[in-house]
Amino acid sequence: MVGVLIRMKLAVMRHSSTDERQIWMTSGATAGLVAAGLTIWFATYDISRPAALMDLLAAVFAMWAFGWIAAPVWGGQAPLRAEHFAHHPVPRVRLAAGLLAASLVGIGAGVTVVGFGALIVFGARLGIVPALVAVPALVLQLALVVLLSRLAARLFGALSRSRTGAAITGVLTAVLLVASQAGWIVFIAVEAVLATGFSPGVSAVLRALPSSWGLVAVEAAARSDWAVVAAALLGLAVGLVLLTLLWGRLLGPGRLARSVVRGSDRSRRIPSRPVTAVYLKELRTWRRDPLRVQGLVVAPVFAVLTGLVPLAFGSTAFLPYAGVLAALLGAVGSANLYGQDGTALWLTLLRPGTERADVRGRQLGWLTVFGPLSLGLTVVGGLWHGDPDAWPWALASVTAALGAGAGLVPLLAVDQLVPGPDPHRNRDSPLDHGDVTGLSFVMLFLAITAASPALAVVAAGEAMDSPALRWTGVAAGVGLGAVCAWAFGARAARRLRERGPELLYLMRSGKPVTPPEEETEQAAAPIPAARQAILWTLFFVGVIALFPQGLVPLVMKLSGEIARVWFLALHLPDPWQWPTVIAMILLGLTSLTLCVHLYRRSTARPRPPATP
Amino acid sequence: MSDAGAAPALRVDGLHKAFGEHVAANRVSLTVQPGSFYGLVGPNGAGKTTTLSMAVGLQRPDAGRSLVFGVDVWRDPLAAKRLMGVLPDGLALPERLTGRELLTYLGTLSGLDPATVERRASELLDVMELSGSAERTLVIDYSTGMRKKIGLASALLHGPRLLVLDEPFEAVDPVSAATLKNILRRFVAGGGAVLLSSHVMALVEQLCDTVAVMAGGVVAAEGPLDEVRGGRTLEEAFVELVGADVSGGEGLSWLGS
Repeated sequence: MVGVLIRMKLAVMRHSSTDERQIWMTSGATAGLVAAGLTIWFATYDISRPAALMDLLAAVFAMWAFGWIAAPVWGGQAPLRAEHFAHHPVPRVRLAAGLLAASLVGIGAGVTVVGFGALIVFGARLGIVPALVAVPALVLQLALVVLLSRLAARLFGALSRSRTGAAITGVLTAVLLVASQAGWIVFIAVEAVLATGFSPGVSAVLRALPSSWGLVAVEAAARSDWAVVAAALLGLAVGLVLLTLLWGRLLGPGRLARSVVRGSDRSRRIPSRPVTAVYLKELRTWRRDPLRVQGLVVAPVFAVLTGLVPLAFGSTAFLPYAGVLAALLGAVGSANLYGQDGTALWLTLLRPGTERADVRGRQLGWLTVFGPLSLGLTVVGGLWHGDPDAWPWALASVTAALGAGAGLVPLLAVDQLVPGPDPHRNRDSPLDHGDVTGLSFVMLFLAITAASPALAVVAAGEAMDSPALRWTGVAAGVGLGAVCAWAFGARAARRLRERGPELLYLMRSGKPVTPPEEETEQAAAPIPAARQAILWTLFFVGVIALFPQGLVPLVMKLSGEIARVWFLALHLPDPWQWPTVIAMILLGLTSLTLCVHLYRRSTARPRPPATP
Repeated sequence: MSDAGAAPALRVDGLHKAFGEHVAANRVSLTVQPGSFYGLVGPNGAGKTTTLSMAVGLQRPDAGRSLVFGVDVWRDPLAAKRLMGVLPDGLALPERLTGRELLTYLGTLSGLDPATVERRASELLDVMELSGSAERTLVIDYSTGMRKKIGLASALLHGPRLLVLDEPFEAVDPVSAATLKNILRRFVAGGGAVLLSSHVMALVEQLCDTVAVMAGGVVAAEGPLDEVRGGRTLEEAFVELVGADVSGGEGLSWLGS
């Protein structure tokens, strides 16, 4: 059974291996090995206070376990799923054990074994016997995290069928996004933890986590406390057996039913104009579609958390900008608006002349959903922060970003459509979608670019010390937003009218129309691997230079609340700080521009000679 | 209107579509007369869906044209599309609406006034048995039969004179199928024209007066039902026209032993 399943998994992986996947796998494995190396390195830290080191390792192991649990949110489905065997006469527990063994064959498990090697390093520093105890502990711990991951995948799968579940995965996604942006806080904390350990309460909770039981066993072996060693190892083993049994029980088909959203009984409101009809449809979809609900949750949660993280070092400087972040994330999450609706576009194509109403109705819907939310967050954040100088910045940026978002959402959704499964074909996994990573950062970059002239006006007011000019920036934000929303929307409607059948074909077949000679543009083609590597490098350099190394120190210098952390500019002598900030912003913008340029060249070639 | 009255309900003239090397529809021509019930049959991959998509304006043809009561679908889309109702196979709808909300939305988009939208939506939902207990069900939770029925309701909503239906009976239960057939027969009896595609021969024999057989992207035969089947069953005529070998007679000796 086990051998068959492992061979089957390898076959599936071999057949689904594309260039893009290989890049992801290679970069994922590299990142994982770096994390594993760090974990082992932590185990070699000063051991004069073993309790403090154990706290640190327990925290790191808990992060590994958390990573495994959260992985299905990102990585999607495992190659072998219980559903594949639902109709085969195999006992469920045997199937569960077989699938668990197959899960242990893979890059993730390999990287984790290396990382958990920290346990053996830790044991070896305490003596030979603890090192020997570390070996079974490592095996049990690995099986435990893998099993937790599979159970979590099962749970997320079931959750995603309801709107509440979609909202929960939205919160998780936002938390993980913020954590990946704010990882530097952890590095500040490392030194403190090593010096003093965690507080007794946190320490006790950490050690009680099953991911720490291996450590507990190793440490007890050093003290020859064999009862604790046995209890910890047995605990792991029993936990493993119980979880396998539970998983086996859950493997049957359809245990957790999809929750069904009901429409209103008598929605007798008959809209009088096409644009109102589209608007009503959009609002209902925002309320009822799990995928949209998820997008709706990610934006504000990400924005609020990002605003709150700097409170760790006592700064409220980011809070007024939570609204802008929500608007930007809202636009990013909606960038594939047409793709999400799938082939429903045929209804618009059969009603020529309604393309404009379709675009405008969607824009109004998006603004209704994200407008009050973003403005509200800006006002609350601004009041909390209390510095009156922040208001023009915050208001100018949020209004401009909302307008830019409302305009760019339909435009990019039409222009760069990413085909995904039709909603009615994946009723049971409504959060599945095409790979929108590239589209997301194009949206982020364009929305920031489109909104930035309003900020330039505020900056000019700042430089000339003119309050009037600074507040003119807010008017500029509103005006710019309105122009963006109107002009980009008009262009989106025109594209929809001109290229409707081609878009429908793209959604139907998942690939762009093969271009005949006069055809000038296709919507999305796979990007060659090498180019994609360059693209990602540019993207990361751009994001790091622009945000944490450029804009964050900028905000700090403007607000006067300076925490140096890892912001290069703030570590330099005073006269060099402003030039460094500006250089970083320029570097970031250049990288991102190049990145977008490359992305567009890769996905849409050959380009038409000149369409404005 | 007198012009339109004299023209065929649908004239497909040399529609052609190639995907790379593969020719999906090879200079296909069909003529559907007003008041006729026209069946387009062919095996999977024969090019039926591609032909119908090009005929109604959902897929851009490489060559050829499609005229609805004399109006060119690709030159004057607004006028042509007003004259026809379309039910494609397997395409998405605005899934998070109820049936009534969907019809209201589409009716308003088609430019009907609110009173007409409300009256027609109610009638269509009643006839399709989608009112009452199904009133609060979202389209995404509809069964296959219900999806076909709401699809046909939305195709009928604006009062077209030609219906183009791609596999309208695919995976539909017998009760829903009977409802659909009744409505289509009434539509034809009232002077409308129906073009439907199917690979269920019995159904086409039962409903249609005119048939065309497609295989490998070309029309192998077109004409009145009796002429095309020529004294055989449509299935026999079809297998002969398509030139398929019927397998399944050899091997599998272990089956059921």
